[in-house]
Amino acid sequence: MSRTSDPAALERLDIDRFVDWPAPYQYCLTCGLCAGACPVAGIDDFDPRKFVRMVSMGMEEELVEARWPWICTMCGRCDSVCPMEIGISGMVRNIRGMRERDKVPGGLQKGLEQVEKTGNVLGLPKEDFIFIVEDVAEEIAEEPGFSGFKVPIDKEGAFILSTIHNKLINTQNEDLKHLWKIFYAAKEDWTITSDYWEGVNWGLFTGDDRAMRMMVERIILQMDTLKIENLLWPE
Amino acid sequence: MERFGTFTIFDILIKYIKEGRIRLDKSRYAGRRVTYHEPCNYARKSEATFGYGYYEEPRWILSQCVDDWVELQPNRRDQICCGGGGGTLLTGYNEERIRYGERKIRQIRQSGADLTIVPCHSCHGQIKGVKDELGMPDLEVKYLWELVADCLVMEE
Ligand code: SF4
Ligand code: SF4
Repeated sequence: MSRTSDPAALERLDIDRFVDWPAPYQYCLTCGLCAGACPVAGIDDFDPRKFVRMVSMGMEEELVEARWPWICTMCGRCDSVCPMEIGISGMVRNIRGMRERDKVPGGLQKGLEQVEKTGNVLGLPKEDFIFIVEDVAEEIAEEPGFSGFKVPIDKEGAFILSTIHNKLINTQNEDLKHLWKIFYAAKEDWTITSDYWEGVNWGLFTGDDRAMRMMVERIILQMDTLKIENLLWPE
Repeated sequence: MERFGTFTIFDILIKYIKEGRIRLDKSRYAGRRVTYHEPCNYARKSEATFGYGYYEEPRWILSQCVDDWVELQPNRRDQICCGGGGGTLLTGYNEERIRYGERKIRQIRQSGADLTIVPCHSCHGQIKGVKDELGMPDLEVKYLWELVADCLVMEE
């Protein structure tokens, strides 16, 4: 993190830089309640009060490039104690969204691009998805009490559509079983879809509203096509 | 979205239990010390964003599965994040994430529980990852719906 002792950085200070944000960061009392509540405070020298100060000084470049907004988990503990209701975690998300997309750390952006192209984070083709799902269904059917168990895929008019977290399809197949067994036991009229089954919305994390909207629209499209009225989003 | 009904996992589980559509056997986890970790997004953040936090629903479901479970301290709105929120499992800043998670593990240890129930994939991945990293095979983490599925009473 570059410090403001750098004269060029002082030049760049601009207290009006973020005035259009709804967060009333100008009213920060520097009371430090947020820092006290933050479970990450201290790690990498971060604490939310410093973050708010940087926003109020308009240190855009430093903020956007810092690791801090990505180390914060947007847990909202700071928000819930802030006497001025500043909404710090929302500002963190805004700053994340201002980073160039190819500089989003780790696998988040790659995952989102994969979703856009293929419908899911894994880029898994439909046949492979169906294969995995049916394999798991067969295993469930072998358990006592679940004979004849099947997973209804793309069932028109089902009462409820359930989305799926990609990690359950990827490596944690066992964990697909729990909810499906409950559906079976409750005699629910449920379904999953073979195209846009992905329930994880990483746009929430990267500050990307467009990506979030795209995923929601796809789910709505399927619900329309299959005439399903209820959505269960267990993610 | 208003055209459609949406269920949270809590709504649906409570519905099945209250309508008698599933039956649960409380003896399956008898003798285990169980605790509940609440995800920021269902609790504090949901309350801040939508005006409603899911605090009591998961606790009620838990009570249908086990007789004796303990709260983490602090809890509900003041619950501490597991460190897996906000996509941190995927940013690659693992050292920071694990240090963050150590706080969660300490909190779980203080409760004396050896089984932690979570209703969130990120929390599950994070708590499991951190306890494996710290070498604590005696701590177990399960999904809330996994606990319910484990307690299902099936005919036959
Ligand atoms: S809790 Fe709010 S008012 Fe106090 S230092 Fe933090 S942001 Fe400022
Ligand atoms: S949202 Fe970020 S800054 Fe606020 S308490 Fe949580 S981790 Fe700390």
